[in-house]
Amino acid sequence: MRLFIFRYVIAAVVAACVISAPAAHAQSRAETLRYVTGASVNTLDPNMPGTTREAFALSMGTYDRLVSFGRKQLNGKWVFDLDTITGELAESYSVSSDGLKLTFKLRPDAKFHDGSPVTAEDVKWSLDRCVTAPVLGKAQLLTGSMTSADQFKVIDPLTFEVTLPKPDKLALPNLATVYAMIYNSRLAKAHVTEADPWGINWLKENEAGSGAYIVESFRPGEQVIAKRNEAWTRGTPDKPAFFKRLIIQTVPEPATRANLIERGDADLVIDLQASDVQALEAKGKLKVISTPQYNAVTFISMNNRIAPFDNINVRRAIAFALPYDDMFKAALFGRGAPMFGAIWADGKPPSGGYPIPQPVKLDLDKARAYLKEAGMPDGFATTFSFNVGQASSAEPMAALVKESLEKIGIKVDIQKLPDAQMSTAINEKKLPFFTEGIVAWLPSTDYFYRNFYTGNQRWNYSSTDNAEIERIAQAARFEADKAKYEEEGRELNAIHFDQMFQIPLWQPAQDAVMAASLDGYVYQFTRQVDYRNLSRK
Amino acid sequence: MGAIGGTLIRAARRFLSSLPALFGVLVFTFLLMRVLPGDPAVFFASGPNAGKEEIEMIRKQLGLDKPLPDQLAIYLYDVGRGNLGRSMMTGQPVAKDLRERLPASLELTLTALLIALLSAVPLGVLAALRPGSLVDHGVRLFCSLGVCVPTFVSGLLLIYVFYYLLGLAPDPTGRVDVFTTQPTAHTGFLLIDFVLAGDLDGWWAAARQLMLPALTMALFVIAPLARITRASMLVSLGSDFVRTARSVGLSRWRIVVTYALRNAVLPVITIAGIVFSTMLGANVLVEKVFSWPGVASYALDALLVSDYAPVQGFVLLMASVFVVVNLVIDILYGIADPRATVA
Repeated sequence: MRLFIFRYVIAAVVAACVISAPAAHAQSRAETLRYVTGASVNTLDPNMPGTTREAFALSMGTYDRLVSFGRKQLNGKWVFDLDTITGELAESYSVSSDGLKLTFKLRPDAKFHDGSPVTAEDVKWSLDRCVTAPVLGKAQLLTGSMTSADQFKVIDPLTFEVTLPKPDKLALPNLATVYAMIYNSRLAKAHVTEADPWGINWLKENEAGSGAYIVESFRPGEQVIAKRNEAWTRGTPDKPAFFKRLIIQTVPEPATRANLIERGDADLVIDLQASDVQALEAKGKLKVISTPQYNAVTFISMNNRIAPFDNINVRRAIAFALPYDDMFKAALFGRGAPMFGAIWADGKPPSGGYPIPQPVKLDLDKARAYLKEAGMPDGFATTFSFNVGQASSAEPMAALVKESLEKIGIKVDIQKLPDAQMSTAINEKKLPFFTEGIVAWLPSTDYFYRNFYTGNQRWNYSSTDNAEIERIAQAARFEADKAKYEEEGRELNAIHFDQMFQIPLWQPAQDAVMAASLDGYVYQFTRQVDYRNLSRK
Repeated sequence: MGAIGGTLIRAARRFLSSLPALFGVLVFTFLLMRVLPGDPAVFFASGPNAGKEEIEMIRKQLGLDKPLPDQLAIYLYDVGRGNLGRSMMTGQPVAKDLRERLPASLELTLTALLIALLSAVPLGVLAALRPGSLVDHGVRLFCSLGVCVPTFVSGLLLIYVFYYLLGLAPDPTGRVDVFTTQPTAHTGFLLIDFVLAGDLDGWWAAARQLMLPALTMALFVIAPLARITRASMLVSLGSDFVRTARSVGLSRWRIVVTYALRNAVLPVITIAGIVFSTMLGANVLVEKVFSWPGVASYALDALLVSDYAPVQGFVLLMASVFVVVNLVIDILYGIADPRATVA
C-alpha cells in the first residue's frame, strides 16, 4: 500500500514538471537570443588587461561610444565600414577644416542605465581614463594621436571637443572602437578608491553604461544574461534592440555547439569547426554566413634575423615551395579568401590595400633555384611551430608544409606549443619558422605596416627592420591625398613581396551559423557579433 | 564509545601528519608553474595593440616583476589569509571561482560514484556468486567496455543518442537549463538548493541535466569497483565463517549480504575513495563535453594560458580533498570493521 502511494506521488511530480516546463519556455524563446561560444566573457569592462574577445562583444551592447561604424556590402556580405562613421551618443559631429578639432554634439535624450543623463563630463572622464589609467585603451587611442587628457575638453554639458596634434585619419575611427566607450562617471566615481582612482576593479564586475543591453547576471566562464534597455534608441532605425533577452553561454566542446545549433536550441554560433560548418551548410536547414575576415591575415612567418631565414633567397624559396591549394583545403576546407596565386601584370602590386593576394604558387623548381642562390642547395633543418589553440587548422597545414619542404631538402620538425608558451616564444623572438595570424581593428595599409612590420615587439612576427617600410608607412599615416596614399600603399606592398618578410596565406572566413529566422548579421571589427544588429523574422 | 573515540583520535593524527605534505604541495606547485615555459603577462597582453608597456603593466599587476623568493613569501602570506590570488582568465578571485565550481564538480562526482556503486556492487556480487558462468562473463565484458571507451567518446555518444537523436535529454550545457532561474545558493549543490527553495520544476531540470554526465563518468569507474567487489566477495564466500553460516542453515540473503558482503566491503571502500579523488580531478573531459562548470576544466583552461593563481589554487584544493577523503575512509573503516581501530 505504502509503495503504491509513493509511486503515485512520483508520477504526479514528474507529470507536473513535464507539463509546466515547456509552456514557460515558449513565450520568451522567440524574443531571446541564445548565443553559444567556446570562449567566455571575463570582464564587464573591456579596458581591463587580459580581456577576452567575447567581453569586447558584450561591451558593444552594454556601453555606447560617441560614434560607431556603418556597414557596407563586401561580395554580398554585410561587414563593418571603416569609412562611414555615424553618431551613437553623438547626435552629430564635425571636423574642423584643418583636421585638428573634432566637435561632438551629444544626444539630449541619452540616459545611463540608472536613469541619469549622459553629459560631456562623462565623455571626458571616460576618455581621460582611457589615456591615463593602466588600461588597454591607451595603446589603441595612441594610434589615433590621442595621448593626453589635455586633448579632451568639455564645451558645455552637451558639447565635447577633441584636439589633435596632427590631422590624423584614424582619430575618429578610434573613438568607435571598443575601448572608447562612455562610462557613467558619477556612478564610477562613487566606487573609486585611493589605490584605484579609475575604478578598474569595480567596473570589471559592475556595468555602468548607457547601451542597448543591461547585464542581469554575469558568471565568468559560464554565461552572461542581459535584458534589453527599452530606453535605448541609438540603433540605426531609432528603436530599441530587437531581442528582449540575450544569453551568452560558454560551451567548450565544438561538437556540442554544432548539436545545439542544429537542434534549434541555440540561435547563433561563430566558432564551429570548419568541418561542422561544411556539414551543417550541406544540410541546408540553417543559415550560414561566411565572411572572409578582411581585417585579419594568417601567415607563415619567418624570423628574418635567425639563420637561415635572414637570407632573402631562403625566404623566397619557402614562398615557392608551399602547397598553397592543398593547405587551404586541409586547414580551412577552402573557407576564406586566399592570399596566393595572384598574377601581378607587370610584376607590380595592383593595389595599395593590405593584405592583397601575392603572386606566389607552388613551383618546386623555382624554389630549388632560390635555395641554390642562397648557397644551400642541399637544404637545412628547422622547426615549424604553431599553437594548440589553432591546432584544428594548423596541424593539417603543418604536415603539408613538412612534406613539401622535404622535397627541396628542408627538414622540418613540427612543434606544437601551448598558447601561452607560443606567445612567449614569439615575444622573445625565439621561433624561426611558424604560423600565426594578425588582426587590426582599423584595417588601413599604413596601420598594418606600422604595427606588424616595425619595432622589436611581439606583433612584428618577421622581426622586420626595414628603413624604407618605416619611412613610407609613417608618411602614409598623415597623408591626406587619397591617390598619394594609394601609391604609398603600392610601394609598401612591392617592398613586402620583394623582401618576402613573411608569407600571407589567407584571410580565414568567419562562419556565422544561425537559425534560419535570424536576420541582420554584420561582420564586425572585433571579429565578434554585435548583438544589436540582430533580429528575428 | 571507545571505538569511536579511537577512530577520531586516529583521524586527527592523520590530519596533522598531512599538513607538511600540503605545505610541500603548495611550494612545489608554485615553483613548478614558474619553471614551466609560458609567460602569462605576454599571453594576456594580447589585445590588438598590446606592446611592451602592456606586458609590463600586467606583469606588475600579477606581481611577477618581483624576485621569486619575494613572490613566494607574498603568496604564502596570502594563502595563510585565505586569499588564493586572482584569476586573469575569469577576472575573479580564485577562492571565489573554486567555491562556486567545487560544488558543481562534487555534485557530479558524487552522483556518478553513487550510480557506479549501486551498479558495480550488485554486479560484482552476482559475478562472484557464479564465477565462470555466463553472468560473470557478461559483467566482465560490460566492465571492459566501460574502461576501454574514453569518457569523451561515451559522453559524445550519449549526447548524440539521448539529446540529438531521441531528444530525451536536455541540451548538454551546464548544470541547469539556461531558461530556468537558479535558486539562491545555500550549499552550491543544485539538487539540495532547489529542494530548499521548494522549486520542484527546477529540481527536475537540474536532475535531468545531471543524468548524462553522471552516467558517462559512472561507466568509466564501474569496472574497478565491480572487479574489486567480485574478487573480495570470492575470498569471503570461500571463508570458514560463510561455510559455518551455510551449515547452520541461515537464509541465502543473510549469508551473502550480512556475512560475506560486510566482510568484503573494506577493499571496495578503499578503491571507492581513490576513485572519487581521481574522478574529481580527472573528469575534465566530461566537464568539457557537457559544459559543466567544474573545477577540473577550470584548472585545465588556466594551465593552457599559464594563469598561475588558479592552477596553484586547484592543486591545493585537490590535495586538501585527498586528505579529507582519506580521513573519511579511515572513519568508514572503523564502522565497517571494528578491528581497524586497533591497527
